Amino acid sequence: MADSYARSLISGVQLNRARGKIIYRIVLTLVIVIFTLVFIGPLYFLFTDGLKSTQEAIAAPPTLYPHALHPGSYSRAWGEFSLGRLLLNTLYYAFGALAFQLVFDVAAAYSLSRLRPALGNVILALMVATLMIPAMVLIVPLYITVAHLPIVNISLIGSPAAIWLPSVANGFNIFLLKRFFDSIPKELTDAAAIDGASPMRILRSIVIPISRPILAVVSIFSLVAVWKDFLWPLLVEGGFNPPRETLNVGIWTASQTAPENMVLAASAIAAVPTIIFFLIFQRNILAGLTAGGIRG
Amino acid sequence: MADLVTLQPPGPRLARRRAGAGGARRSSPRSLTPRLRRNLSAYGFLIGGVVCFALFSWYPMVREFIMSFQKTQLGVTSWAGLANYRRIFNDPTFWTAWRNTLEFTLLALLFGFAVPFFVAILLNELRHAKGYLRCLVYLPVMLPPASALLLFSYFYDPSYGLFNDILHTLHLPTSQWVLSPGTRWPTMAMISVVIAATWMNMGGATLIYLAALQNIPGELYEAAEIDGAGLFRKIRYVTIPQTRLVLSMLLLLQIIATMQMFVEAFILDGGQGVNNNTESVVYLIYQYAFAMSSASNFNSAAALGVVLLVVLATFSGGYVWLTRTRDR
Amino acid sequence: MHRRLHGRAGYRKVAGVTVTAALGLAAVAACSSSTTSGSSASTTSHVTVGGFCAPPSSSPVPYKEWNEDVAAFEKANPNITIQSIYSAQCDVPATLTAQLAAGTEPDVYETYFGDLNQALDAGQAADITQYVNSKTVPVWNDIVPSAIAPVTAGKTLYGIPIFNYTQGLVINRKLFTEAGLNPNTPPTTWAQVETDAAAITKLGNGIYGYGDYSAGNNGGWHFTSELDANGGAMTNAAGTTASFDTTQGMQVLEALHTLRFTDKAMSASQGLAWGTLQKQMAAGKLGMYIAAPDDIYDVIVPIDGGNINDFGMGPLPSVSGTPAGTLSGGDAYLFAKRDTPAQIEAGIKWINFEDLTLGQGQFNFARLKADGIPVGFYEPQLFQGATNTAYTALLDKYTTINESYYSTFVNANEKPDGQPADDQALYKSLDPVMLSVLTNPNANIPQLLAGATTAVNQILANSSGG
Repeated sequence: MADSYARSLISGVQLNRARGKIIYRIVLTLVIVIFTLVFIGPLYFLFTDGLKSTQEAIAAPPTLYPHALHPGSYSRAWGEFSLGRLLLNTLYYAFGALAFQLVFDVAAAYSLSRLRPALGNVILALMVATLMIPAMVLIVPLYITVAHLPIVNISLIGSPAAIWLPSVANGFNIFLLKRFFDSIPKELTDAAAIDGASPMRILRSIVIPISRPILAVVSIFSLVAVWKDFLWPLLVEGGFNPPRETLNVGIWTASQTAPENMVLAASAIAAVPTIIFFLIFQRNILAGLTAGGIRG
Repeated sequence: MADLVTLQPPGPRLARRRAGAGGARRSSPRSLTPRLRRNLSAYGFLIGGVVCFALFSWYPMVREFIMSFQKTQLGVTSWAGLANYRRIFNDPTFWTAWRNTLEFTLLALLFGFAVPFFVAILLNELRHAKGYLRCLVYLPVMLPPASALLLFSYFYDPSYGLFNDILHTLHLPTSQWVLSPGTRWPTMAMISVVIAATWMNMGGATLIYLAALQNIPGELYEAAEIDGAGLFRKIRYVTIPQTRLVLSMLLLLQIIATMQMFVEAFILDGGQGVNNNTESVVYLIYQYAFAMSSASNFNSAAALGVVLLVVLATFSGGYVWLTRTRDR
Repeated sequence: MHRRLHGRAGYRKVAGVTVTAALGLAAVAACSSSTTSGSSASTTSHVTVGGFCAPPSSSPVPYKEWNEDVAAFEKANPNITIQSIYSAQCDVPATLTAQLAAGTEPDVYETYFGDLNQALDAGQAADITQYVNSKTVPVWNDIVPSAIAPVTAGKTLYGIPIFNYTQGLVINRKLFTEAGLNPNTPPTTWAQVETDAAAITKLGNGIYGYGDYSAGNNGGWHFTSELDANGGAMTNAAGTTASFDTTQGMQVLEALHTLRFTDKAMSASQGLAWGTLQKQMAAGKLGMYIAAPDDIYDVIVPIDGGNINDFGMGPLPSVSGTPAGTLSGGDAYLFAKRDTPAQIEAGIKWINFEDLTLGQGQFNFARLKADGIPVGFYEPQLFQGATNTAYTALLDKYTTINESYYSTFVNANEKPDGQPADDQALYKSLDPVMLSVLTNPNANIPQLLAGATTAVNQILANSSGG
């Protein structure tokens, strides 16, 4: 009878031995301490350096904690850099982009995977090939296109569509989604087809429910991509009053002309929503990533 | 019956169509209409995606390609042949940028590829605090890049930065970190950029590896141990082969991503670095497009973009071809 | 005092974004349809004109003052609406570049001196010669030629200058006094700089007498200024060949090399870019460096927390003691090609109101003083003749700083030499030269200059070939 319990590199038996136990405890403690220092340490400074005065923030050598608290930087940063507004902008763009991607990219991947139109392979290749195009390469022709959309000749500059629509052109999504759809057992969809279900019905009732893991992965990547984007939102949404750019861009613009402690206070404030979001949804996020890992 | 056949993968489908009862039906003209209808509905699903790709990816790319062969003076655009390409190849910083990008890619592979993998292995072995550690590792991924990079540039400051303070306390020589002037590989400047980039991004890869590791059947390790394998042999002969697919895919994605490095150097040291030692290819494109007065212009930036694209495509093509033969 | 915070050559603190706004050479000629950013001459009577660069809300006082001015102007001119742009496009030239490429730039857009050619190349500059005269801009004939030249091509006028600057030697008066030097007589020759810097460095504790840039294009930028002061020039008059490999160039680099390695009056940490020297100044760790006055009131004091009374300025150092010239620059507004005559007139009216009328707008010293903004810096230096006399009198009346701290700089009356053609690319080529001089004790200066000359000649050849 083979060992049926799950085990990894080091077996449970080894760990149960006295020596194994001690080594394990030491390693565990070391890992926890080091990881906490490495990953939370910088965040500690992120939050406390904003509380220092302008001079203390650039004092050499640096102080480990603020010798005099100046919480005013936080409220000033919030107001002067319109952080609340920027945060709302970012959420609006991120979830809007996600919606567009879920609708268009899922439909496209489904079509390429299941419905297999003529020229499907060509279209797929063209879509995935875009992965190789660096964003910077396209920035100006893309800007020109967005400023004068061909045929309809309207401008999307300053409109959220300037972020939402180009986000659909994401080769990675298509790649991930198609791959996942390809791996859905044919029997499931065939059975429904035999019963006379239309492709749309099959998509809605069978494919999508099964695809929750990959949809979670795509959603995470999509939200994170908008969150992290820099030059594009700067170009298409920058310069308006009230501000329309994203948080990431706004902080950088602020850093050009603000003292160090204000910049850090603003950065800290910007980090808070992500941390909260993460703590609330960590289970889903981690599950999504692991699912992506298994399938991927 | 028709739907059933369409859902099957190509290749075998063709064979099955000829054989079997449905074969005869296929050749009658009446069967084209359902097929056409199927294609139409398929295109219906595709149309949104295709329009977006066409407008915001393919069309700009074509335009870019064309631009790389043009020049603009006094509001007039004209054909310039290979002039832009010649100009960028004659620019000494062109070669510097490629060298730097290669350096970044190699370093990032070391730090940003190997490290998450081994961290994942380590985390996989621990029986406690797994949730906590996974959270820790992924937390930096969620920060806005500007926040994280501004924080790091604050830490890297040679006079009031935390890192030099730590080195000083430990009686170690201080460094200028991302502002180091050296140009011999590996440069401290580039290492500093990679450290910041790794801290910010390793969480995602780590968790994906962790998931893949959890799928490795325990029996394989048992078997390896029975054969007398120690820790490193187990990793080499069980862990790595079992996660080969994930590793190879993430490796490709990572290389493509690192060849396009921009934001990290841009925020940490302005993009160029001292002695141009952190100047990446993408930063050079940015400079040509936006940051040089009349010496260069967007057409040259387009040319450089096309060059980068060709390099990436060649590399990816080669990579996929190499790994494909192994999988069969 | 200039409202907007922007580095002279875009030498932003962290980004290498360059000052001289890269008005990217558009591959596309201007789209004739005016679609965005608030430009519509709707009716014959009401005009909307937009694009003026306003202080962002993160600078609350200048922001308030700007909005007051707009309100006052619109009240006096009810048929005109002014649209402002708050930072981003004005502070990040990349945005303007993209706009020019797409033809969606604002009706009136701010640029740096030296960028007219790019705007013309993009086909985006309107001819405003007939609209500017002493009726529409009363001080026009008193504006210095060096400010009008950058917005003129041949006989055609394309823009209106609103700000200019020259560079001098910023000194930390406190350190001078502590070192036993007289802060009212800043050094004027490189030899004196060396003596004074050495004395300041003796104070120890991480204090150094002199500092300079050598990265992010700033090294070349400063080298250009120091070369101009020493009587040299980066290129020939036509801008086709490099001309810095001369005695004057050598003298500048040798002076820096000596400061660093013989006098040891410069820090071992080199490879510095914009932002670092100001911080050191504010922290009292640096005795002197080269800059324009706005470094003091825009950066050192508000951002880095320095005390305004600690600083003063002298002229740029040279071998002779009298600077032959200085790198100079400034800002100007250009007009989009698609503007209607009404928009051009309205734009000129606003610019005149806000930027070229003494006692008003950017020259409303009474209000600046009341609002706690430092007054008294002789910058911009746009005027000559009677207007200039009135300007200096107004500065004197409302000054909040001790103007005598800057008198040697002002009295030197340096000749503004502008910036060389392809400035950013040239500065970039000189960065490694500066870096080597400041970090390599055995730097071979003639060889470095020769190498840079080759590189620069290649750049100049490239650009003249298109």
